[in-house]
Amino acid sequence: MRDAFAALQQLTNRFQPLQTAEWDAFAAIWSPVSAKRKEQLTLAGEPERFIYFVLSGIQRVYFSDGAKEATLVFTYTHSFGGVLDSLLMQQPSRYYYETLSPSEFLRARQADLLTLMANHRSLETLVRKGVTWSMSGIMERLVELECFSAEERFRTLLKRSPHILQLIPHKYLANYLGMDATNFSKLLNSVRI
Amino acid sequence: MPTQASNELLRDLEERVEQDLETAIRVFQNLTLAVLNAPSASGGWSIAQCLWHLDSYGDYYLPRMEAEIQKGGQPSPVFSSGWLGAYFTKMMKPGENMKKMKAFKSHTPPTQLDAQQVVAEFIRQQEWLLKLLREARGVNLNRIRIPISISRWVRLKLGDVLQFFIMHSHRHMVQALRNVPM
Repeated sequence: MRDAFAALQQLTNRFQPLQTAEWDAFAAIWSPVSAKRKEQLTLAGEPERFIYFVLSGIQRVYFSDGAKEATLVFTYTHSFGGVLDSLLMQQPSRYYYETLSPSEFLRARQADLLTLMANHRSLETLVRKGVTWSMSGIMERLVELECFSAEERFRTLLKRSPHILQLIPHKYLANYLGMDATNFSKLLNSVRI
Repeated sequence: MPTQASNELLRDLEERVEQDLETAIRVFQNLTLAVLNAPSASGGWSIAQCLWHLDSYGDYYLPRMEAEIQKGGQPSPVFSSGWLGAYFTKMMKPGENMKKMKAFKSHTPPTQLDAQQVVAEFIRQQEWLLKLLREARGVNLNRIRIPISISRWVRLKLGDVLQFFIMHSHRHMVQALRNVPM
């Protein structure tokens, strides 16, 4: 567990170094939790009650209307997870957050996080920088979805995280890249890396 | 007949499915078409054929189990196998001296297969099965009965169907893994 908090501190330091007292207050709101494969952590229509810090496993935030599904974000070891817009806007989530492999987390309650942000300027800054970084990633991904060919999107993903092919079913990767599973298989056969 | 706590049974089965699903994700979905379609060294089924065989059982059992589980009920703390259910499960267990069994016609795989689609379907079914195993904690494994695929007038307890279905999958996973080049 010491390692888990050390990893959390390392990540927060990258966004916003904290004084000892602030770090202690921040660290105190997190507790460990684990989940098996394909557990729904957040349901659409319900508020996001937690922010997660992933210790192991892969998860996704996705939209589903019953017929169609869109994978918006993957979260993985040493990244923050949960439905961030619902968490910070305090509105019901429009998306689901589920595990795609057995997972371990630290997680903190929304109310505890909001209280800390209200009381500590540097924690407010930490969250702002974290959310900005996340928004920047989503904008970059929108460009890839609009302008890259299927093969370019496939290559980019595999260059960034080649190990992911062995960790989760390919259908989620295909969905994330905005292509159907058959097309993904064809690329996998032709573009062996 | 074997008797055990329902929760323990479901937990053990979930663990078994998790391991087999992890293998399918890590190994099978990343194999080339040539490897997936190659007959075994002894001329037996290819990996794709083994998984097609399992998919054909899943097509039959998963929707039926789901429909019964969704009717709900009261969980029973203890599950006791029926004699036929226990016999089927025992027969499916992979072991040192596995006897070769002949597949029923409706479950016998064709030779030409869309191998990657077969693997993807297997993974989809195993994820579905995990969901059913969790939902089954809320129902009576003794009382719910499911007609078996090869003879619709034989109806086995849900707890037995889950056991032999999962053991049967594991048996063919072991078989398919022997076709994976080292």
